[in-house]
Amino acid sequence: MAIQPQFYLLLSAGVFCAGLFGVLTRSNALMFLMSVELMLNAANINFVAFSFYYGNVTGQVFSLFVMGLAAAEVAVGIGIILVLYRNFGDIDVTGPVTMRR
Amino acid sequence: MVQLPVWTAIAPTVILALTVLLLLVVDSINPDEDSGNLLAVMAVIGTVTSIAVTGWYLLAGTGQPPTDPVLLFADAIVVDGMSLFFTALVGSVVVLIVLASYDYLADHPYQAEYYSLVMLAATGMSLMASANSLATAFVSLELASLPSFALVASLKHNRGSVEAGLKYFLIGALSSAVFAFGISLVFAAGGSLGFADVAAAAADTSLPGVLGLGILFVAGGFAYKTASVPFHFWAPDAYEGAPSPISAFLSSASKAAGFVLLFRVFVEAFPQTAVAGTIDWVLAFQVLAVVTMTVGNFAAATQENVKRMLAYSSVGHAGYVLIAVAALTTDANRSFVLGSGMAHLLVYGFMNTGAFLFIALTEYWDVGRTFEDFNGLAKQAPFACAAMTVFLFSLAGLPFGGGFLSKFYLLMASVNGGVLLLAVALVVNSALSLYYYSRVVRAMWLEEPDGTLEIQGYPTGLYAAIAVAAVMTVLLLPAFGPVAEMANAAASAIV
Repeated sequence: MAIQPQFYLLLSAGVFCAGLFGVLTRSNALMFLMSVELMLNAANINFVAFSFYYGNVTGQVFSLFVMGLAAAEVAVGIGIILVLYRNFGDIDVTGPVTMRR
Repeated sequence: MVQLPVWTAIAPTVILALTVLLLLVVDSINPDEDSGNLLAVMAVIGTVTSIAVTGWYLLAGTGQPPTDPVLLFADAIVVDGMSLFFTALVGSVVVLIVLASYDYLADHPYQAEYYSLVMLAATGMSLMASANSLATAFVSLELASLPSFALVASLKHNRGSVEAGLKYFLIGALSSAVFAFGISLVFAAGGSLGFADVAAAAADTSLPGVLGLGILFVAGGFAYKTASVPFHFWAPDAYEGAPSPISAFLSSASKAAGFVLLFRVFVEAFPQTAVAGTIDWVLAFQVLAVVTMTVGNFAAATQENVKRMLAYSSVGHAGYVLIAVAALTTDANRSFVLGSGMAHLLVYGFMNTGAFLFIALTEYWDVGRTFEDFNGLAKQAPFACAAMTVFLFSLAGLPFGGGFLSKFYLLMASVNGGVLLLAVALVVNSALSLYYYSRVVRAMWLEEPDGTLEIQGYPTGLYAAIAVAAVMTVLLLPAFGPVAEMANAAASAIV
């Protein structure tokens, strides 16, 4: 392996933190979804890199599952964001606070 | 005697999945007709069949001592006493939910979708109980979560429901990403995903720090699913805004499924002996248990809205169940500690579902949601109010139902584990919870109604569901011994 595995850990940690930063700072629901996607892909980097490192395909196959589930999650999420827009006229996630008194 | 093929061990889950497909087929053949009756009946029949098969396996000893657990699909799925116990629990809750939804959703336009999503989530939850690898754990957790997001937001023109769905989805997506990242770190440290292999690789990993961080992240994913601190803040909003049968479903079945996966992952994949050099998760759960109990109960005590109070009390109960892992010290009677948590989840499944279904009944009558709105309700609906009283006192831990004994067992478990702080927190919080539960009881039975409330109709399905839940809650008081014994036997197979 040309690149040491710890660099992959650093890369994935960086991508994960970028996603987490987006989740915490963005109030647009679509930006939130993209940030979550970054965090999931950080996991995928680890899976693929260490799958190669350990010489098995477990991690590679699992990363395919993660991608599939991420797509399913976005599909449900877009549906919820759509009804959010219809009810509140905006996709700002900090907007709906009808239950907080 | 005929020996069934090995794959039939997973039949209870397969039956739930087949019911989903059948519901969708019936709806696609006959989409226009108002077929709520047929769909509800099919969902109930499918679930009852699944429970019956589960019960049969439990009695026949499938995968339980003295025989080995049944491992399927290259060890990705396991069927043992614990998975059967929780499959039966999830199935029972689903039956109650479907019965109640029949009335609650009488004029809901998307009945087929609703029932299929409930059954799909139930499939995911029963699969969570059978997961034996982190890959199965992640996939089944998502299978349980994704339909739940849609169900919470299923009242599309109700702003509360949409808001609840959004919050549930946002926190759910975030925590599933955290969970996946945790799994990837555990994989990085050991190179495998099966629970047994992870445990074997953990002992001599060259990356203990990465493994410890991975374990923490995985715990975060479970904290979301079980509505525990620090990922609990979605719970009050999601439970309050969701249709009440769905609140009942999420706060009992979904929580139980989260806990069974938590038990299995931490006991089987991260045993203390193997991860001793990385992280002391028993200590972490002790902190989480005490904080979760306290946060849930203190927040519940300050609520004016009964449904939101129940939502916070559900967070508090997650803290009680966490005792099952927090008291899992090395010198404890481990199968007793874990079994007590399982037994409490079973009792909680009935009493909490019943309490939320009573809220569904009051919403059906348009009673309103605050404590004052419940004033004098017992004069018009004495049976439902009596059942609610049983649920609430059982939740508080009074000997009206199984909740008394299950809390007592949890108390014994925390003493057994030698963690007296947990025992103190359990007693103090239970005493506090009696205050806010009895506020509801007082409003229903002692206060005078303001005279404007006129109850129209007594919906059969909702009443039946509440009656069944009440009978089970009461029956679990005398029948708690055998149930706890079964739970201990199931737990002894994995600890």
